[in-house]
Amino acid sequence: MSLTRADWIVLICLLAVQPWLYTHFWNGHSGVADHAVITALGQDTQELSLRHDQQINISGPLGDSLLEIQGGRLRFRDSPCHGKQCIHSGWLSHAGDFAACLPNRVSVTLVGAATRYDAVNY
Amino acid sequence: MKSGFLYFFFLISLTACSREEPLHHDQFLAFGTLIEISIYGLDDAAAQQASTAIEQDFQRMDRDWHAWHSSALTVLNTKLAQRQYISVDAALLDLIRRARELSLASDNLFDPALGQLFALWGFQRDEPAGPPPPPQKIQALLTALPIMANLHVTADSVQSDNPNLQLDFGAIAKGYAAQLAIEHLQRLGVHNAIVAAAGDLHVLGTHGTRPWHIGIRHPRAPGIIASVDLKSGESISTSGDYERYFSHQGKRYHHLLDPRTGYPAQGTAAVTVIANDGATADAAATALFIAGTHDWPRIAHAMSVDKVLLIDQHGTAHLSPAMAARLHFEIEPAPKRVVTAIP
Repeated sequence: MSLTRADWIVLICLLAVQPWLYTHFWNGHSGVADHAVITALGQDTQELSLRHDQQINISGPLGDSLLEIQGGRLRFRDSPCHGKQCIHSGWLSHAGDFAACLPNRVSVTLVGAATRYDAVNY
Repeated sequence: MKSGFLYFFFLISLTACSREEPLHHDQFLAFGTLIEISIYGLDDAAAQQASTAIEQDFQRMDRDWHAWHSSALTVLNTKLAQRQYISVDAALLDLIRRARELSLASDNLFDPALGQLFALWGFQRDEPAGPPPPPQKIQALLTALPIMANLHVTADSVQSDNPNLQLDFGAIAKGYAAQLAIEHLQRLGVHNAIVAAAGDLHVLGTHGTRPWHIGIRHPRAPGIIASVDLKSGESISTSGDYERYFSHQGKRYHHLLDPRTGYPAQGTAAVTVIANDGATADAAATALFIAGTHDWPRIAHAMSVDKVLLIDQHGTAHLSPAMAARLHFEIEPAPKRVVTAIP
């Protein structure tokens, strides 16, 4: 069995594109988030697409935390906690980005088509 | 024949892009933070069952070991102040023993006997708010500094000879619990998993054909500063000054208190430790944060820890050689690095 020139071209193209395919889709180095996973104490986990701009209230023991989705990003716009650390987290846009209002027991993790890390140590 | 060979090769190349993974992911709140469980290679129903069992474990430990909500630990603390011998259940006794060993090894920089100091600073509240305590109150507590050596542990009981000794396992319980959770998952037939309690996580097995890949949060910017592949049975813990703090008159006060001064430790932004034991990684991350840029190698040696990353207030990364060999920096340009051997 001998390969023709066209076979070699196909083979080389495949080999050339494979590292990119691997890093892009398997390792997930694109890192772009496409939806948010929202957890609140005593409620089912919700998933929200980042493609639709909206504001959503998530209720917790202290009151409502207001989340805002705009242009593929998400932030805590308001929360009834004292420290406002969740609001200071600012806009989240990458897969794996995380913010929480622990006093109000609401947390948000962004998830991408390919999440880059299996877990984040913070 | 030829085209068959090429077609086969093409199909093989496509498998590298597949994202279909038998990965089950769950999260819940316990220990005042988000607990995340990832289980690989088990069918969804079995993984869900295992994950539910772990959630129950965490809720029980949180209930029993809470330092300020009414718990078995707050009852124990009340009796410790009266210098009685108090019988303790096996689970709590094991945590007390581990905490005592690690505290003594850390030269008391990790000091879980300092519940009174944490309470004085308002860190034994769901939301620390300040203001900082009056200096004379801090000084009064330091003159009779409670340390774990003041705690006498028998086969089933404990007794304190320092009336100020109040236990608070905030700097060890999450790492210890993450490892217990992994051990429980193993007994339930799980071979590949991560249990992550925010700054403390323990891994088992692998993610299919590759190791578990962990990102370490940047202490001063959103996102990841470095990443590392963990081996089965390893724990990683990070302690940072950004985790719990309050601001008062424009100054930030974080929760990693130095037992020698009674004030938040200065000079360090975050410490990450990898160890084969969850309690050790967790307690060492706190102790080395307090030890700071000059003393961390000595304390790491005393605590039998060899993989350490310390980010100081200027952003310089101080590393042990074993950590430098494992860690991959994810920011451009990579931070200034200082590698120091552990004696």
